[in-house]
Amino acid sequence: MRSKRNQRANLLRYLLLLAGAVLCTLPMIYMISTSLRPNGALYEFPPRFFPRLSAVTLENYQYILTQSKFYINFLNSVLVSVSSVALAAGVSSAMAFVIGKFNFPGKRLLFGFIILTMIIPGTTMIVPQFELATKLGLVNKLWGLIPFYVAWVIPFSTFMIKGFMEGIPNEITEATYIDGASVMTVFLRIALPLAAPAIASVSIFNFLTAWEEYPWANTVINDTSLRTLPIAIAGFFGQHQFTQWGYVFAMSVLTLIPVIIVFITCQKFFVQGLTAGSVKG
Amino acid sequence: MRTHKKILAMLLVVVLCLAAGTTMAESSETPVTINFWHHYSAQSAENETLMNVLIPQFESENPGIKVNAVSHEWAELHDKVLVSTSSGSLPDVIRCDIAWLPEFQKMGILVALDEAMPDFAAVSGALLESAMSTAKIGEHTYALALNTNSKIVFYNTTMLEEAGVAVPATMDEWVAAVTALAGTNANGQQTWGWNEPALSGWNLCPFIWSFGGSLTNEEQTVASGYVNSEATVQAVDTFAQLVKDGALTGFNSGDIPMTDGFGTGRYAMMLEGPWKTAELSGAYPDVAYGNAPIPAGAGGSISVLGGEDIAMTTLANQDAAWKFMQFMTSSFAQVEMAKCGQIPINNDALASDTAKNAAYAPFLEAIKTAKARPTVAAWSEMDTELSNAMTAVVSGEKTAQEAMDALAVTFDALLSQ
Amino acid sequence: MEMRSRSNRFQLAALLAPGLIVFGTFTAYPIFRLLWTSFCDWQLGSMLQQPWIGLANYQDVLSDSTFWTVFVNSIVYTLVTVPGQMLIGLFVAVLLNGIRRFSVGFRVINYLPVITSWVIASLVFRYIFNTEGLLNYVLTKGLGITSQNVRWLDTRWSGLSVAMILGIWKGVGWNMVVFLAALQQVPADLYEAAEIDGCGAWKKFCNVTLPSIRSTILFALIMLTIGGFNVFTSIKMITGGKPAHQTDTLLTWMYHKAFSTGKFGYAAALSFIMALTLGLLAIVQIKAMKNKDL
Repeated sequence: MRSKRNQRANLLRYLLLLAGAVLCTLPMIYMISTSLRPNGALYEFPPRFFPRLSAVTLENYQYILTQSKFYINFLNSVLVSVSSVALAAGVSSAMAFVIGKFNFPGKRLLFGFIILTMIIPGTTMIVPQFELATKLGLVNKLWGLIPFYVAWVIPFSTFMIKGFMEGIPNEITEATYIDGASVMTVFLRIALPLAAPAIASVSIFNFLTAWEEYPWANTVINDTSLRTLPIAIAGFFGQHQFTQWGYVFAMSVLTLIPVIIVFITCQKFFVQGLTAGSVKG
Repeated sequence: MRTHKKILAMLLVVVLCLAAGTTMAESSETPVTINFWHHYSAQSAENETLMNVLIPQFESENPGIKVNAVSHEWAELHDKVLVSTSSGSLPDVIRCDIAWLPEFQKMGILVALDEAMPDFAAVSGALLESAMSTAKIGEHTYALALNTNSKIVFYNTTMLEEAGVAVPATMDEWVAAVTALAGTNANGQQTWGWNEPALSGWNLCPFIWSFGGSLTNEEQTVASGYVNSEATVQAVDTFAQLVKDGALTGFNSGDIPMTDGFGTGRYAMMLEGPWKTAELSGAYPDVAYGNAPIPAGAGGSISVLGGEDIAMTTLANQDAAWKFMQFMTSSFAQVEMAKCGQIPINNDALASDTAKNAAYAPFLEAIKTAKARPTVAAWSEMDTELSNAMTAVVSGEKTAQEAMDALAVTFDALLSQ
Repeated sequence: MEMRSRSNRFQLAALLAPGLIVFGTFTAYPIFRLLWTSFCDWQLGSMLQQPWIGLANYQDVLSDSTFWTVFVNSIVYTLVTVPGQMLIGLFVAVLLNGIRRFSVGFRVINYLPVITSWVIASLVFRYIFNTEGLLNYVLTKGLGITSQNVRWLDTRWSGLSVAMILGIWKGVGWNMVVFLAALQQVPADLYEAAEIDGCGAWKKFCNVTLPSIRSTILFALIMLTIGGFNVFTSIKMITGGKPAHQTDTLLTWMYHKAFSTGKFGYAAALSFIMALTLGLLAIVQIKAMKNKDL
């Protein structure tokens, strides 16, 4: 009796989850299916979810992949994202180590302020940040994006990694100090390796943030050769009152592939990172 | 430990990249690079010509100069120029809509060419005088004319024949035709008689003028009594009524884009410029269409004068920029651009065979009677206000009279600034 | 641990410095600058001269009817999407917590919308919801719910609805992961005790689960509220604020004022009003959650 009820409940769970999974993926599948049909068929009648098999074409992908622009945009995105992630990881874990493991005057105030800035949405500060970029000569420079991206992710990254650093038992670090090691040695030899999972999970988030960032890059970057992928995609859309959805979506699919690869290979870290933050929060 | 070495190595790479970035930016000073901003859309034939024919030609003629051409969307170009003014990162040369010139001049970012360039008279003398007048503000001339255009009616021949509708010659016929062509097609899909992709001055002025209305007085100092005159209100009201009847659309976010809708037989007619010819033959080569002047109303058949000027900013490398501007207005460049539908303003190019045989002959007629949008510094703001007012009318929030009365007050304030 | 030697103190400073410099320059300084310039007459071209004008910018903002439209839009967006994401996310997490097989697979699929970039997701939604799009075809011809195409993107509330549906679609996965992690940490003996007391599934959920994950709910609530006010790209891509700024939100309107009309002082004042609103909301949320002794 009881197990039957359980079975029924289980079946219901799977059905609901399946429905949810369909809702989650439907728009993405539609995007892929649209990218596989010729541009002229986009307003065909009746509209189809899947293209006619005979009409499936790779011409949109061919077009995108034969344009040198795409590779430049792609490279720009990779360069900016990877540099931002690497710098943010180094800088935030060093801060997290000091804040998490040492006492110094003003520590609570400093950490409190860093956390407080998390409640201000990034785009709110676009005006003063633009002014700053102007003064520092960072407008229309690809590498000019990096310090801003790093600064945006520092609060969250420091907050997450600090939790891990605090969890490192004092006995381990104390023993190393007694052996005559310096603070720097302890940070590099002990704290960093032990906090590696947290740093990795934070880095994945930071990668996503930098990879998809649109408003800031769109504001400060002018040159076609300096545009990142999101600006390039947005630029494809809406020119001259006709939108080549086929191109837009082919480029979108190509942009999503690296993200999905990163996500699937690192999804364990992902969940860990989120867990640490939310439970402590 | 491995991990921290890796991280250190990555940091090192990043630092090196940053350093390399800085030095590269500095060393690129030796050959002069001029930044040229324009709004040829990235996938257009014009852009192809610019990137693959004109710029290579210019660079081979002028070995010390490189051109970095940047394509922006039309509205975005305006905003980018505005923003770059405050950040001091203006390009050297801008191809800008003639309607923006007064605004940019007032912002103080344009070089007065007749003062700064000794050979200005010789250069401008080779260009069409009426087009050059768009660049003159007060005493000085702040740009060279680059191209001109106007809009005429594109109609889908098949749709008109099937509906038994003649090409409208008067505004009354136009209203009747737009209404008659709206309905459903064989697939049961809705069709519209007319497409208008936005509600700005570029879109509305031809109707307002052809109905005999206007936005301001001749001197462009007062709007009251003009933008809310009987004729203007009638034009606005007629337009809005067609929208409410479901016969006219195109400016909503969810509408089919203009070219797609026209190419697939959902919009029967539209008012568009010479670039549309190339766009249609590229994207929808099978659609059968014809051209006609804008229907005549009480004010005549009056289209809107478009076109672009090429201007030099105050931050420009003046020598190189001037060379490039001369090149872009030269007979060679103008003929090349004429091949993809851009109407030249260089007198020699206009007289050339290419120009005579070009598909834009009907547009030249429209240009003769076309009027320019108000040439005032506040035009961009007026334009925004106009389209907001129009949005309120088509959504039924305000009557045409109410909206235009309110607009007159706003316009007066903007004009008196 | 104290800082023993001088060299160690120096090393600590060296570790702290890079982060502080970047954070201080690119985040902290702009915040103070934002506050300062919101009291200045800062228009296009007056980059260098910004005379103090007191509260005039704030007056401009608060007396601007468009500001109130977009303010209401942002509030509605947040009020709809935050509970929407949380309820669905929690529901999915509860379902996932109850199954043994394919749990990881479902988790990955539910998370896909989160990792899809805003630009791409917005364009896909725009394509699906356009008046001639697939959804309208399904509604009219497929299901026959309406006879006429719904003009999703063309009016204030329908346009915002599309953005809100996108917001919920994209946010459920994050909530799911966060809540699932919290659910897995609820001690099993609490459930056993409740079962002995004869509680049904719903009672168990209310009496055991909810109180146990309260700190997670608060965390999600605050993060999502910030996210709700941060909506920008989707509005820009889906409606572009049309018609006549009626679908703009606080940030898209602020951006328009700053970068399309050059009214930087106005934009700064608006940004600060927004930050203040968010700060107040966060305090209210924390207070409310602490007082409620579930």
